[in-house]
Amino acid sequence: MVEVLLTNQPKERQRLAALLETFAHEQRLPAAVLQAADLALEEHLTNVMSYGYTGAGRHEILVRLQVKEGWLLVEVSDDGEAFNPLERPPADLSLPLEQRPIGGLGVHLMRQYMDDLAYERVAGRNVLRMKKRVSRYLEAGCQPDQ
Amino acid sequence: MDIRKAVTGTSYELLVSGRVDGLGANRLEEEILGAIRAGATAIYVNLSEATFLCSAGLRVLLQYWRQMKNSQRLLQATRPSAEVDSVLTTCGFREMLVEKV
Repeated sequence: MVEVLLTNQPKERQRLAALLETFAHEQRLPAAVLQAADLALEEHLTNVMSYGYTGAGRHEILVRLQVKEGWLLVEVSDDGEAFNPLERPPADLSLPLEQRPIGGLGVHLMRQYMDDLAYERVAGRNVLRMKKRVSRYLEAGCQPDQ
Repeated sequence: MDIRKAVTGTSYELLVSGRVDGLGANRLEEEILGAIRAGATAIYVNLSEATFLCSAGLRVLLQYWRQMKNSQRLLQATRPSAEVDSVLTTCGFREMLVEKV
């Protein structure tokens, strides 16, 4: 398992993206799995950093990455305001683009790209666990660069 | 992320390469706003070399697609890479926002 400690600074997301790419390479994860985790982490961390904290204080966000029994497991823990992204209503894609709300697509992308999302509030921290099935891609014969 | 700009009259092509993440979306917005201020009547956001697109980038595309359309001008995404095309399709943007070839 890899643990990454981030601060609530926007540039930290880019540092995590580089670390995730290294992790995916070492674990020989298919490109589609890397893309899904990359996108889900970008979306969730943007929400945490943008809306989770009041004031300009420094906060730490812990990200855990693990491959276990055919799944990529991603856990994000932060000490921001309680926020369960899974309570957001689904995006209404039936509306024409002219009438679409500008926001709300981040959680939609997380739901679509990851296979399972679970949230809990533990000891004053938000914990979001995301899962992506790796074995599906390997069974389909995908190579790490596919 | 890098953005190269090609201008033909009042038609602007913005060739985006790399990650359109939150920071990249801010940069894209600055370039689009610059083109609008310079009098662009058409803005083509070429995404063939973009490797990543998040919702912040979608927000920028949607916001300025609307703004341009409301003033009888054009903003379109063109030639999305496979990764970016997947995001556009997942969010229902592809049919209306992406240039039809």
